[in-house]
Amino acid sequence: MQGKASPAAKIFLMTIIFILYAPIFYLVFYSFNSGGSMSGFEGFTLDWYRELLGDTRLLIIVLNTLVIALLSALFATMIGTFGAIGIHALKRSKNSILGLNSVLIVSPDVIIGASFLILFTIAGIRLGFYSVLLSHIAFSIPIVVLMVLPKLAEMNPSLIDAAKDLGASRWHVFTKVIFPYITPGIFAGFFMALTYSLDDFAVTFFVTGNGFSTLSVEIYSMARQGISLHINALSTILFLFTILLVGIYYVISQRSGLKLGGFRR
Amino acid sequence: MRNASIIQFRHVTKQFNDETVVLDDVSFEIEGGKFYTLLGPSGCGKTTILRLIAGFIEPSEGEIFFNGKKINQVPANKRQVNTVFQDYALFPHLNVFENVAFGLRIKKMKKTAIEEKVSEALSFVNLQGYEYREISEMSGGQRQRVAIARAIVNEPKIILLDEPLSALDLKLRTQMQYELRELQRRLGITFIFVTHDQEEALAMSDEIFVLNKGKIQQSGTPIDIYDEPINRFVADFIGESNIIKGKMIEDFLVEIAGKPFVCVDGGMNPNEPVEIVIRPEDLEIRPEGEGKLSVTVISQLFRGVHYEAHCRDLEGNVWLVHTTKKIQVGDKLGLDFNPEDIHVMRFDESEEDFDRRIEQYTEDESLGK
Repeated sequence: MQGKASPAAKIFLMTIIFILYAPIFYLVFYSFNSGGSMSGFEGFTLDWYRELLGDTRLLIIVLNTLVIALLSALFATMIGTFGAIGIHALKRSKNSILGLNSVLIVSPDVIIGASFLILFTIAGIRLGFYSVLLSHIAFSIPIVVLMVLPKLAEMNPSLIDAAKDLGASRWHVFTKVIFPYITPGIFAGFFMALTYSLDDFAVTFFVTGNGFSTLSVEIYSMARQGISLHINALSTILFLFTILLVGIYYVISQRSGLKLGGFRR
Repeated sequence: MRNASIIQFRHVTKQFNDETVVLDDVSFEIEGGKFYTLLGPSGCGKTTILRLIAGFIEPSEGEIFFNGKKINQVPANKRQVNTVFQDYALFPHLNVFENVAFGLRIKKMKKTAIEEKVSEALSFVNLQGYEYREISEMSGGQRQRVAIARAIVNEPKIILLDEPLSALDLKLRTQMQYELRELQRRLGITFIFVTHDQEEALAMSDEIFVLNKGKIQQSGTPIDIYDEPINRFVADFIGESNIIKGKMIEDFLVEIAGKPFVCVDGGMNPNEPVEIVIRPEDLEIRPEGEGKLSVTVISQLFRGVHYEAHCRDLEGNVWLVHTTKKIQVGDKLGLDFNPEDIHVMRFDESEEDFDRRIEQYTEDESLGK
């Protein structure tokens, strides 16, 4: 950004940010309300959090959500990274494959969710943990591909020649040159996949069976049963966790940015 | 004493998928311990030859030998050849030490040996004390040296240099020319240097291959190539030259601008049309009426060391002259030159015919004396 923003622009920016964050803070604020609803703040309490922590069913759901997010992000990152390397090596069909990749990202979750439901039903896969995990891996792969590809494109192809020239086998070229170079992209892809998986509702809603649930689906069903401040407390925790993830991602990208960003040919 | 050839190309042709022929039936030999330069304009195939030797690409036809063994199919990582890339291709995620140590680590050398070799290589290129710098902290000239150290540390039989000086400024480039030449002498390994800069080629090489359109036009020492270019392309590409149409009346007598002149070339047909080359520094300015040609100065530039003048003779040929004498546009002058300054070129003569002819008439000449 160049120059100073005018005061009007600053006020506009602050207003937008306020509007976006106000509902979240409103929700967080009432999670400490000792009254039973969001209509009036009666007094500070941690009861809702205490009750949440005492609710083993909910804790299991939290655990499910985290396990699904971590596992799906991990698998999607592995598959997506190799996919990106493969796509990068393509010459003619590169653009059409990239197009197919982008379609998956922009198409509505509802459609993806419904199609997975059909697929799993036809294939005879029981709905539950594995169906959720598989669908999360599937919708995360395109995101990882999209995060890794720019790093590959940015890499000077003569680096690979140089490594071969110095005696590196294909495997060494990958582990010692390509992989370290695209690591920031891989991390970015992993964290994006993690957040996509954590907050996904629509796809998960279609493919969870009875007895298995993730947080977003659980919050939705709680909200349908009636407003309870449990939801506020749970959402607050989820929100803080997301902020933590963003923070970690920021630190990592800063650190690798310092090392790689300064390099100019 | 003749060194055994270390690299041999036999009828090598390279064409890429779109059918463009980059190298057209090229054969040559490279001997150990010398400084070779592949010189030519962009697209002449010089980098392709380098990539074939390095093993990044395979020839479409023909054979490449390394120490007598055919290496067409040997991949780059199994060849005793290292490359200094045009853009250096240093690994940005590794520091100077690790960049230089890369090849040794692949070979799984012992840690102490690696440290020893890396510091030796860095001192060869005057970079002691820079081990733990990041590549991003190094200047262009320093990166260049890191790239050279990374190549020599592996003790290859041949080092390939792909226009490594093109990104440096003039002063640094001249300094690096001396350093590279010196480094080659100290290491005693073969350097194959690719450039489009004829001055660089003349200054550094033991042998030059002049390439154009996928063919080797001429090979030889810098002096041979400068003094006896085989054709118009080489004469024009190397140094500055006056290339004038002429006629070979008989051996050692050539007609230029309608007048016969004694020269030192021969072995051609009587009255064969030829082109003659006279270098601008070999033309001497005389007062009007003296010398071999009468000319009028049509333009003049001060170049620092000398004046550069264009002069037109009575036949309309334009002569480029380098002189330290002050002259002015419109002056009428005489131009003088010696018989050995005239170099005669036949049209479409192959390098073998050229060499054979030169050998023959120099023999005749020595017999005649």
